[in-house]
Amino acid sequence: MQPTATISRLKAAGAPPRLSGFAQWADRHFKWLLVAPAVLLILALSVYPLLFSLVVSFINYDFQVPGHAFVGLKNFERVVFDPVARWSLWLTAWLSGISVAIEFVLGLLVALTMVRSFPGRGVIMSILIVPLFISPVIVGQAWTLLLQRPFGPTNYILTQLLGQEVTIGWMTESPWLYFSLIIADVWQWTPFMFVILLAGLTAIPPNLYEAAELDGVNAWQAFWAITLPHLAPMMLLALTFRLLDAIRMFDTIFIMTGGGPGTRTYTASYYLYTVGFTQFHLSQATAGSWLFLIFTALVVMLLVRRLLKTEPV
Amino acid sequence: MAEVRITGLHKRYGAFHAVRGIDLDIRDGEFTVLVGPSGCGKSTLLRTIAGLEESSEGTIEIGGEVVNDFRPRDRDVAMVFQDYALYPHMNVAKNIGFGLKARKMPKPEVDARVAEAARMLGITPLLGRFPRQLSGGQRQRVAIGRAIVRNPRIFLFDEPLSNLDAQLRDEMRGEIKRLHQDIATTMIYVTHDQIEAMTLADRIVLMRDGMIEQQGAPLDLFERPASTFVAGFLGSPRMSFLPGTLTLDGSAAAIRLSEALLPVAPGRSLNGAIDGQAVLLGLRPEHLTRAHAATPAQGTFRYDATIDLLQPTGSRSYATFRLAGAPVMAELQAHDVSRPGERLPIDINMNRASIFDAKTERAI
Repeated sequence: MQPTATISRLKAAGAPPRLSGFAQWADRHFKWLLVAPAVLLILALSVYPLLFSLVVSFINYDFQVPGHAFVGLKNFERVVFDPVARWSLWLTAWLSGISVAIEFVLGLLVALTMVRSFPGRGVIMSILIVPLFISPVIVGQAWTLLLQRPFGPTNYILTQLLGQEVTIGWMTESPWLYFSLIIADVWQWTPFMFVILLAGLTAIPPNLYEAAELDGVNAWQAFWAITLPHLAPMMLLALTFRLLDAIRMFDTIFIMTGGGPGTRTYTASYYLYTVGFTQFHLSQATAGSWLFLIFTALVVMLLVRRLLKTEPV
Repeated sequence: MAEVRITGLHKRYGAFHAVRGIDLDIRDGEFTVLVGPSGCGKSTLLRTIAGLEESSEGTIEIGGEVVNDFRPRDRDVAMVFQDYALYPHMNVAKNIGFGLKARKMPKPEVDARVAEAARMLGITPLLGRFPRQLSGGQRQRVAIGRAIVRNPRIFLFDEPLSNLDAQLRDEMRGEIKRLHQDIATTMIYVTHDQIEAMTLADRIVLMRDGMIEQQGAPLDLFERPASTFVAGFLGSPRMSFLPGTLTLDGSAAAIRLSEALLPVAPGRSLNGAIDGQAVLLGLRPEHLTRAHAATPAQGTFRYDATIDLLQPTGSRSYATFRLAGAPVMAELQAHDVSRPGERLPIDINMNRASIFDAKTERAI
């Protein structure tokens, strides 16, 4: 008979070593030392500018006027009663709303198509997400080249297709210029929706669809009963992110229309830029930024509250 | 209610051959358990019967009808999944009734059927709850409810108890067996747990590497395993295998294990075995007992064992000792032996022993 292997005990580890007074202090406060750089960075780059801008919005901060007189709510008043500001806010709301809605529907459709595996899926996927990596300035420039009269090919192609002369000023005529801005935004950001929604779709357990198939549930019923409820948190997340980004729309406007004709394509960001950096009414621009921040915060609050309410499944 | 006939079934995933030529007849109302180690193809076979996987070759008949080209929904089968696959956003009643609603059954009838299924499974108080508010056992009950409410021709179970803790598993096993007794529908049940297979099955189909290793009534497989694989898979603790040589001396046969000569039960057929053949002697723990009589009974070999490992379970004690160099486990009464190192006489019941060819590992 073989002897059973014996297991020897480890030596007792004993009490932890005693620390000196300084070592104890360092041991206790080391965590503060570790977070200090990050905290300082946030204070310097985030909190201080924010507080400073709040101060600026209540004073007359003008390079040509000596001294910074306190002007109360005058800066805010100027923004609120500026018809261009109101128009820009209104345009921002519906331009971002329409763009994001189109991106959402298209992104969802593409995600639903791409969730199944088929030959060439990897290649198509890579091509689909390319617009995400392109700078919005380049996107704006590319669409300008495509749409601009008289050199862009769009009018020519439409002329050929419709059999009659098409002479649309895509960057100058209402409502076509809005259409141009929306199409550039949709082209760039639909892949974002697609990627997030696809991630959500692939996270749905396939067993649910198999159980549904065995239950005799048709594709449409399965979409409502399984896909939609599972995807809802992801949808809300994608919409929140996208909407937050869209209401700050600036680069494509800057490149494609320059806010024009006149102030027809002033979005909130573009308006604030113009007031602050071409007219140099810095205080008014800062006050406007604060108002815009409040407006944005309201939208975000509604969305985020809804997002947090969705229960985990 | 339907019988299932599977003929020459193959399933390949690219180069991987998961199911390799299965022929299986399952009678109407039979409880068949597909059992085997992970990756033996049992789940694939079940999913192919359900239609969730397409077969690469061969036919599947349900109720005399070839269903290869039928969609899963048209096969009239219901399946219970390991992870329950409940719809998380519907309450229990809606989960159970969803399949009926999808098939456009009038609401009063759906409600009546759901109520009946819930009553059978004892989940009536849970009907208004959501899956996330239920325990694992309750969820599995709901999943079974969703299957029985449709009154399908066949029930398929894919390791339904694997996610439950041991006590709940015992309880649910009993309930599934009772359910089968009550509704007597054909059931095909996949598990890797040999206890589930033994306790539930009318027939066990033991699979290995995509093929059927042996099929039959649980006790047939347990008592007359066709190979060391079957013998080792069924029974817990496992059968002990002892390498030896077969000696044939006229009508008397025996197995020589280096020092000991163990007589083979007289009258046991040893078809085709030759003198000097290398064999494996298979002994189940319950075939070894502590010797009490002065002389061993007919067909019993007595051995003076020194116990080197003792595992008491309360009702029984599993004692391991060495016989001709190989470890053997004996199932003793709780107080037969008190500590390792003890010497005691063990009677080995050779009438119940299995003998396998050492090379092919098939039963002799």
